[in-house]
Amino acid sequence: MIAAQHNMRGTPLPDAPVLKTARLLLRPPQLSDFDAFAGFYASPRSAMIGGPLDRKDAYSGFSSTAGQWFLKGYGFWEVIDRESGVNIGRAGIYHPDFWPEPELGWIIYGDSHEGRGIAMEAATAARDGAARHFGITAPISSIEATNSRSIALAERMGARRDGEWETPYGPMLRFRHPQVSA
Amino acid sequence: MTADLTTARLTLRMPDARDHASYSAFFADAEASRFYGGPLLPYQAWERLAADIGHFMLKGFGRFVIEKDGQVIGGCGILDVDGWPGHELTWWLLPAARGQGIAQEASRAVLAWAGTELGWPRVETHFRDENTAARRLTESLGGTKQRRETFPDGIDRDIYAMPTTEKVSA
Repeated sequence: MIAAQHNMRGTPLPDAPVLKTARLLLRPPQLSDFDAFAGFYASPRSAMIGGPLDRKDAYSGFSSTAGQWFLKGYGFWEVIDRESGVNIGRAGIYHPDFWPEPELGWIIYGDSHEGRGIAMEAATAARDGAARHFGITAPISSIEATNSRSIALAERMGARRDGEWETPYGPMLRFRHPQVSA
Repeated sequence: MTADLTTARLTLRMPDARDHASYSAFFADAEASRFYGGPLLPYQAWERLAADIGHFMLKGFGRFVIEKDGQVIGGCGILDVDGWPGHELTWWLLPAARGQGIAQEASRAVLAWAGTELGWPRVETHFRDENTAARRLTESLGGTKQRRETFPDGIDRDIYAMPTTEKVSA
């Protein structure tokens, strides 16, 4: 994609929309978001989504998903708590070249954000934003069978079980989100 | 955006979606990619390409691809991977492009760019002891050994620094 914005060194930033909800701001990744990401991937909470990772491997994952904005034109937004300004997770579209179709994904980094509906708010905003801005209207979500919290959220969002598939990272359940109007 | 760098024979530009085949070919070659974490499957090569693009986006510098006669033959640039000790001048070349002084020519362009565009007086690099090609190239670029460190993977590596502003004779 052609980038419209540039950082201080003249390298392009993705031409990515910023999304707002009642409590959250969703914006494209920047370097200052990496510590929150690496902290999550150093913790046992990351075990069901590819972790734990050391800082170097976390940087590879973070920079790779940032680069997807340029390769595909869409990607993960960083989820910022509007009141505190703290990065509390990420939500958006994961679609590397080897993935069969766009996937809606979300991560909430800390326990302290559980039980407040934050993950639902972030994932729904990302799903709506992907439909409106990128025409991705019925994404899948691939979830490990043991990740009961994410399965419950996918179901609350109206996603339906749509079989299983063998990803490069191992077997996953596939959920299909309902058609969202663009 | 980051401007292309040009030399007598080469153009260095930011990697993009066109470069998946070149990355896959290089990283599928176990011998050629042995100092670069290879061999990699095509999906892992795509992740590497995406990470190289993301590095430019996050840090304002990164690893360019090298074009010669309109074909991508390798890459050269500066990576600064968090969790790894310091930044490094790095290069990779498809086997057919080796032995022609291309890594040196590309490295000189990157060093000059680091001096003028990034304002860095010197650029560091590091390599395994058995990577004699990297050591020779680094020394040909005016590099001198600064220190030796044990890296997070448990391997000891020499760390060299190269000047960006001085003219270095081959």
